[in-house]
Amino acid sequence: METIKVIDSLHASLDLALPEVIMALGAMALMMYGVFRGEKSFSAVSWGAFGLIVVTGLSVMDLAANDITVRTIGFSGAFVVEPFSIFLKYLILAGSGAAVLMAMDFMKREKLARFEYPVLVVLATLGMMIMVSANDLISLYMGLELQSLALYVLAAFNRDSLRSTESGLKYFVLGAVSSGLLLYGCSLLYGFTGTTNFDALAKVAAGDLSGSAQMGLIFGITFLLAGLAFKISAVPFHMWTPDVYEGSPTPVVAFFAAAPKIAAMGLFIRVTVGLFPVSEGVEQPWQQIVVFVAIASMVLGAFAAIGQTNIKRLMAYSSIGHMGYALVGLSAGTKEGVDGVLLYMLIYLFTVTGVFVCILAMRRKEGMVEHISDLAGMSQNHKIGAFVLSMLFFSLAGIPPLAGFWGKLFVFLPAIQAGYILLVVIGALASVVSAFYYLRIVKIIYFDEPEGAFQPQPMALRLILAVSAIFTLGLTLFLQVPREWTSFAAGSLF
Amino acid sequence: MRLLGLPPGQDIIPGREGPLIRGERMENMNAFLLEYLPIIIFIGIAAVIGIALVVVPLLIAPSNPDPEKVSTYECGFNAFDDARMRFDVRFYLVSILFIIFDLEVAFLFPWSISLNELGPVGFWSMFVFLGILTIGFVYEWKKGALEWE
Amino acid sequence: MWIYKLIVLLPLIGALLAMPAGRMFSARAAELLTSGLMILVAVFSWTAFFSVTGSQADLTVPLFTWMTSGDFHVAWALKIDSLTAVMLVVVNTVSCLVHIYSIGYMSHDPHRPRFFAYLSLFTFAMLSLVTASNFLQMFFGWEGVGLASYLLIGFWFHKDSANAAAIKAFVVNRVGDFGFVLGIMATFMVFGSIEFDKVFPQVHHFENHTFHFLAWEVPTMTTICLLLFVGAMGKSAQIILHTWLPDAMEGPTPVSALIHAATMVTAGVFMVCRLSYMFEAAPAALAVVTVVGATTAFFAATVGLFQNDIKRVIAYSTCSQLGYMFFAAGVSAYPVAMFHLFTHAFFKALLFLGAGSVIHAMSDEQDMRKMGGIYKMIPMTWAMMLIGTFALTGVGIPGVEIFGAPLGFAGFVSKDGILEMAYAAHSGVGKYAFWMGIAAAVMTSFYSWRLAFMTFHDKPRASADVMSHVHESPAVMTVPLAILALGAVLAGMVFYGGFMGHDLAAFWGASFPEHGATHVVMTEAHHVKETVAVVVWAPFVVMLLGLGIAYYYYIRHPELPPKMGQSRNGLYLFVKNKWYFDELYDFLFVRPAQKLGRFLWKKGDGFTIDGFGPDGVSALVLKITGQVVRLQTGYLYHYAFAMLLGVAALVTYFMFFGGAN
Repeated sequence: METIKVIDSLHASLDLALPEVIMALGAMALMMYGVFRGEKSFSAVSWGAFGLIVVTGLSVMDLAANDITVRTIGFSGAFVVEPFSIFLKYLILAGSGAAVLMAMDFMKREKLARFEYPVLVVLATLGMMIMVSANDLISLYMGLELQSLALYVLAAFNRDSLRSTESGLKYFVLGAVSSGLLLYGCSLLYGFTGTTNFDALAKVAAGDLSGSAQMGLIFGITFLLAGLAFKISAVPFHMWTPDVYEGSPTPVVAFFAAAPKIAAMGLFIRVTVGLFPVSEGVEQPWQQIVVFVAIASMVLGAFAAIGQTNIKRLMAYSSIGHMGYALVGLSAGTKEGVDGVLLYMLIYLFTVTGVFVCILAMRRKEGMVEHISDLAGMSQNHKIGAFVLSMLFFSLAGIPPLAGFWGKLFVFLPAIQAGYILLVVIGALASVVSAFYYLRIVKIIYFDEPEGAFQPQPMALRLILAVSAIFTLGLTLFLQVPREWTSFAAGSLF
Repeated sequence: MRLLGLPPGQDIIPGREGPLIRGERMENMNAFLLEYLPIIIFIGIAAVIGIALVVVPLLIAPSNPDPEKVSTYECGFNAFDDARMRFDVRFYLVSILFIIFDLEVAFLFPWSISLNELGPVGFWSMFVFLGILTIGFVYEWKKGALEWE
Repeated sequence: MWIYKLIVLLPLIGALLAMPAGRMFSARAAELLTSGLMILVAVFSWTAFFSVTGSQADLTVPLFTWMTSGDFHVAWALKIDSLTAVMLVVVNTVSCLVHIYSIGYMSHDPHRPRFFAYLSLFTFAMLSLVTASNFLQMFFGWEGVGLASYLLIGFWFHKDSANAAAIKAFVVNRVGDFGFVLGIMATFMVFGSIEFDKVFPQVHHFENHTFHFLAWEVPTMTTICLLLFVGAMGKSAQIILHTWLPDAMEGPTPVSALIHAATMVTAGVFMVCRLSYMFEAAPAALAVVTVVGATTAFFAATVGLFQNDIKRVIAYSTCSQLGYMFFAAGVSAYPVAMFHLFTHAFFKALLFLGAGSVIHAMSDEQDMRKMGGIYKMIPMTWAMMLIGTFALTGVGIPGVEIFGAPLGFAGFVSKDGILEMAYAAHSGVGKYAFWMGIAAAVMTSFYSWRLAFMTFHDKPRASADVMSHVHESPAVMTVPLAILALGAVLAGMVFYGGFMGHDLAAFWGASFPEHGATHVVMTEAHHVKETVAVVVWAPFVVMLLGLGIAYYYYIRHPELPPKMGQSRNGLYLFVKNKWYFDELYDFLFVRPAQKLGRFLWKKGDGFTIDGFGPDGVSALVLKITGQVVRLQTGYLYHYAFAMLLGVAALVTYFMFFGGAN
């Protein structure tokens, strides 16, 4: 069976990148509309952005329907589309769409209703889509920067808030450092192989290399992965996460928590498994990096979250830990492992979005609250909401039969099969520790003295929460469906 | 290339016609390193010029300040002051906006001289690029970023 | 057949339904339900009694298979023979009367449905014990009555002393049960079965069998029987394991009457009798039974002398009377032991319920020093208590017979029978038991009359307020008393012939070994009675002696006993403090156990397991968390430094350890 399909003509290449083209043109159109209509265009641009995301999604779907079952490479090898990237694009678009919807009410209320927000989300999304379709170090970097620059601005979106600007600045500076590391890694790879193209890189890496050249490759991949680890906020490149999560406006954080992580994880997978496939019994150097980063992330995520009082900060550490779990699956370097990671990211997207909807709902008459203690006795005033939030936390803790359990199961299994027993044991122990702070929140919700009711939520948020809740609670019933997708998507990489 | 006395036609620029594999690389290692010689020369020249520009005025420049010389610049900065001072963010904005278009022009130079080889695809690509830049320009114009007040 | 199943199951149904009934309808519904069922069961029991005894019946009513594991088969079946029938009558009659009595006695308690559920549960457990066809079933009942006893002693769970007493009863019984369980296991090992009907016929093969233990050749049967007897000692409160019984008086008085006088405490005696085939093969074990029984009879009687709590006096009396039963069994006179068990059930239940009636009348006062002079106010209770006292002390006329039975109250007939047997055993332990029994009889007479005099006669010592409330109990309480009184008067004379007289063999059937020691001692006893005057007259004389002393001290010179109490005479204190058994146990077992427990708790569990386990881990987690959180300084350059450090660490790692293989 043919596993690769190269498209020569520019025209056909543009077809391959049609979703991205649509998104780019749409983003510019929205920006022009916004800037000519002025500040009051926020709602219109938001809906427009949402519509644009939907249209892009349909266009991705159209690509998928056009029998893209193998790696299809366009733009002289710089751009690739296959079920893997298509799957990730669906997830990214879903996360971005939710972020746009979640922000509408919040931004208006907090006097942040500027049309740039949806435009920036769309631009970041465009960057992410290019990232997951990158087949060349250059297009990788282009997508990554397009995404990052938009995110820097988003982090500081509440420019009158000291904490928001601080978080934006921190994110920007550290992001620049990570970009530097990444670029240095790219240049090393290029220097030692003489190519920026992934397929060519893989061919060189698989060939017979001298010791120093191999070392150069290893250094290159180390720096490259360090830069990407920053994007998925894996330890020790995680330091920005808690501050940015705490300082940035909540819908922005909700966006940060899901879509960029998925895109960066996709890239992470592509430059590890894709460039340096694991053959039977031989451990690739990147696996050691992944194991190290996974352990550090899981442990730090578990321990540091215990000390938190701010729920957004807690979610920051939680996301650090979850990226660690996802990397456990990747460490195996097998198809099943990648399959597990994709499933994990899918579940993570739904669960975390639900949690952030709940955090957005933490609003009293006097304004937003974000302390964990503000959830006290929520069960008394909001029976359904408290139940859903508790279930989401149970899911994050990985308690069966909720979705999070399956996620953990399918990343741990391949790692065990690949012989990373210690890694999995540490992961299981870390999840025990992390269960403590998830359950503590459930305890606060159900058993503490009520703190007073929250304000009602707009319909869009309720809808998102309902989808998230149904997915989290009911995944066990239809687990086979996403399993088929992820397995198909992961299969296209091997 | 000719500057370095290498025989013409020897392609040592990696990546242009597919990757070089290791064997070729090792043979050409010296040549490969030679590729970076201009950079070293540039660094050397820059250092010499820099040092010279600092040292020479010390030695030969006349020093007779008058009130016009030491008075505040039009931009509001004092002529002699701590470099780490606050200044109006608008200066920063203007310089950033300037850099964008500066870079744009930097892209245009190589494009313009190799337009023959790039063909229509290259031509239209640059126009797409300029179009996108124009959109950004329109945005900043409408937002009032170009107005001082 | 169905009648036996009903006898066992109806109390269980009552126990299960009492609480729902109490909740859905009223406490009265629970009372009527359980009592009604018990009346039915009592009637059935008497029917069964008359149809089984004398017919030599030995039925086994199979119910279901309980468990099967390899060679180990346990079926749930009811063994019905004369021995069982006697116990059925005793248990169900007393239980039925106690149920009815409790309706009156507990009328002010808010938790009556629970009480009646427990009573019926107890009855069910006791019935499974006495109808057991194998050791395990017996053990089930054994533990069941232990559980019910625990629940009933601690019925007033808000009283600390009641809870302590309940736990004490349970724990002390565990010691006995441990022996019992070992005995059961040993039985299974030796005989390969725990069915009575399979074990008993094999016993004679093992009469001289020994097994090797360390350096000794240990007789098998003696070992098994002694282990089993340890169980009996615990349940029947024999000396060493007796300490729980007096404390058990913390429970409501009807409970004391039912459990701690008439039924559960006699389970040990019943067990020895049920296993008579095995004990007959172990003469040494029987000697131990005799000595323990005789010693208990004497010991408990001495302690009973100076107790002031009306229920405790009767409790020690029970303990003492159980001693009589044991030494009767110990000299192989099982029928006589069962006879005394039978008669004792009537008059001891009578005494307890009478005492309950007194307590009821005296506004829950139990201290006899605060009673006195109330016999005219509660004449019915007084009369009943007197009958009970007559029966307990053994009032009767020696040497006179009517219809072939001695003329006297129930206790007279059976107790004198026991003493005759002990004498007729013609053995050292038999003689010991006889004289101990005589000595105990003096004291029994003394403390019984002391109780009667202090409670009903002399000047009133209670407060005027209490005295003004003294009233006769309602009919629901006095009628059961009357029925029991009837038994206390007549049971001895009526059933003498069957239990130990001429109809002996026909009455008991194959319940006990027909030939051998039992036959010999029973025959010899008749002989002794006709030839040795001291055996006939001694009990009578000492009974009068005890009465005389009590009369002297408590009617003629009531000012003397308090003085004696103040004199701090050594012997008096020794007896008064129950031979310091509780203190000794406190020193020997309770404190070391507490120390050990405290050590294991503080050092073993608290320090080691919790310290390195849950607490240690959680403290460690918090500590790590504190450290990790401190890493998050908020300074940009720290963050960037961490990133660079991470990259540097990875690169260094590959430089030295990994990478280019």
